[in-house]
Amino acid sequence: MKKTILIVLSLILLFALIGWMLFDLFMGRPELEKNPYDFGMKKLRETQIIPAYSEALPIKPALKKITSVATGPEGKIFVAGDGGVETFDFGGHLLNRISFPGIATCIAVMNNNILVIGMEDHVELWNSSGIQVSSWKAIDTSSVITSVAVNKQFIYVADAGEKIVYKYTLQGKMLARIGEKDPSRNIPGFIIPSPFFDVAISPAGDLWVANTGRYKLEKYGNDGSLLASWGEPSASIEGFAGCCNPSNFTFLPDGLFVTSEKGIERVKIYSQDGKFLALVAGPEAFDEGTHGLDLAATANGWILVIDPSRNQLRIFLPLEKK
Amino acid sequence: MEKQNRRQFLRLAIRGTLFGGLALITGDLLFRKGGSLFNNNIMSGPTVWQLDPSKCIQCGRCATNCVKTPSAVKCTHAFSMCGYCNLCSGYFKPGTKNLDTGAEKQVCPVNAIKRSYVEDPFFEYTIDESLCIGCGKCVKGCGAFGNGSLQLQVRHPLCDNCNECSIARNCPAGAFSRVPASDPYLLKGFGKDRV
Repeated sequence: MKKTILIVLSLILLFALIGWMLFDLFMGRPELEKNPYDFGMKKLRETQIIPAYSEALPIKPALKKITSVATGPEGKIFVAGDGGVETFDFGGHLLNRISFPGIATCIAVMNNNILVIGMEDHVELWNSSGIQVSSWKAIDTSSVITSVAVNKQFIYVADAGEKIVYKYTLQGKMLARIGEKDPSRNIPGFIIPSPFFDVAISPAGDLWVANTGRYKLEKYGNDGSLLASWGEPSASIEGFAGCCNPSNFTFLPDGLFVTSEKGIERVKIYSQDGKFLALVAGPEAFDEGTHGLDLAATANGWILVIDPSRNQLRIFLPLEKK
Repeated sequence: MEKQNRRQFLRLAIRGTLFGGLALITGDLLFRKGGSLFNNNIMSGPTVWQLDPSKCIQCGRCATNCVKTPSAVKCTHAFSMCGYCNLCSGYFKPGTKNLDTGAEKQVCPVNAIKRSYVEDPFFEYTIDESLCIGCGKCVKGCGAFGNGSLQLQVRHPLCDNCNECSIARNCPAGAFSRVPASDPYLLKGFGKDRV
């Protein structure tokens, strides 16, 4: 009897030892301990003020990797990404899906519901029924198209690879290169260290461009002259947190700016002359390291944010209008 | 069942052990991670340790766990990726106002990054490897705000290529692996011509 107990105990000990060895060999991962060389991102990501917006339920597109959002003239929401574009109504119901090969990096919508879709090196136009209207030739081998904007007459294409904004007719004829360094016209040129280079048309019809290496938003005239700019680098809430910010921006119907940043992920609202007004969503609303928070705004003031990390279209509503 | 004598039992045990060992070796050859008879990825030549920047989380262990002092892991700069920013987030602490080379404004704890003027508004940042301790603090700043042109790599002239790398054993991200000595760097970005 004593011998049996001894054998059973020995076997249990042996199995426990083998189990521990196997766990240590294959599963054991050292715990993260305090990093003496910590950069301090945790402290930087602490929100300094309370957001003026609250979040509604997000839209979850079926696209594999979403990149861009735009709103159409009838209030529809267009989400572009890997393999196509999906259209939603305000309630988040899927209305339509257009499929094509490749990744749509950006999208804008004309008044007649024609979609202007930036692929990596060229632009394609599609109608809302999913028929391709035209496909423009590639701009350059080094082109990285990151944003498109459209008004009644022109289509503007931001090329982070060439660090330039192209002005096209609606039919795809290139008319001008905007933002090239020209000291005689006081144009400093675009500095685009990473592929975040956004353009948008304000409700007043002006072309604005994010010069991220200078941490500024710049307004250009029809003749390509630099008319105005604002923006300061700062980790505090009033400024843009260093290099490559604001990564994206859009306009509210009343002309206020909505900006998003990477590094310290946050979405903010600025006045028309660049004064900080409100926080839409702070870093705690996003996963650390999220890049490419593309933005759009609806006619009733909702702010739509592409969240590539969660592959969701996040929706933020003004607190008083929720 | 016929009762075995001690000699038969021992013979059976030795045969079983030999067969089991043979099976283990065969299985290892067939399914080894990073190179097996099936995936034609056997590293036939000598190999060295390297870390994959796309997996690296800048935990600081490259600085503290290497058997060499300072560590054989160094920050390397992918110049073809770099934006040559005036406000380099791998160089300046967040919130720095006056962009000069004051030590108190620098992210690097050992002042191993040298900043030099190129043309308005561009600056070049080079790493003094004799000072760099491989802590990855600048890599974190560059990756978060910039484009990630600063990356940690094992510098092979400095590495002892230990059989069991002390950093690899303690890397929480599993970023270390053995790579062919003929192609020893795993930089992300454009090409491999910039170390």
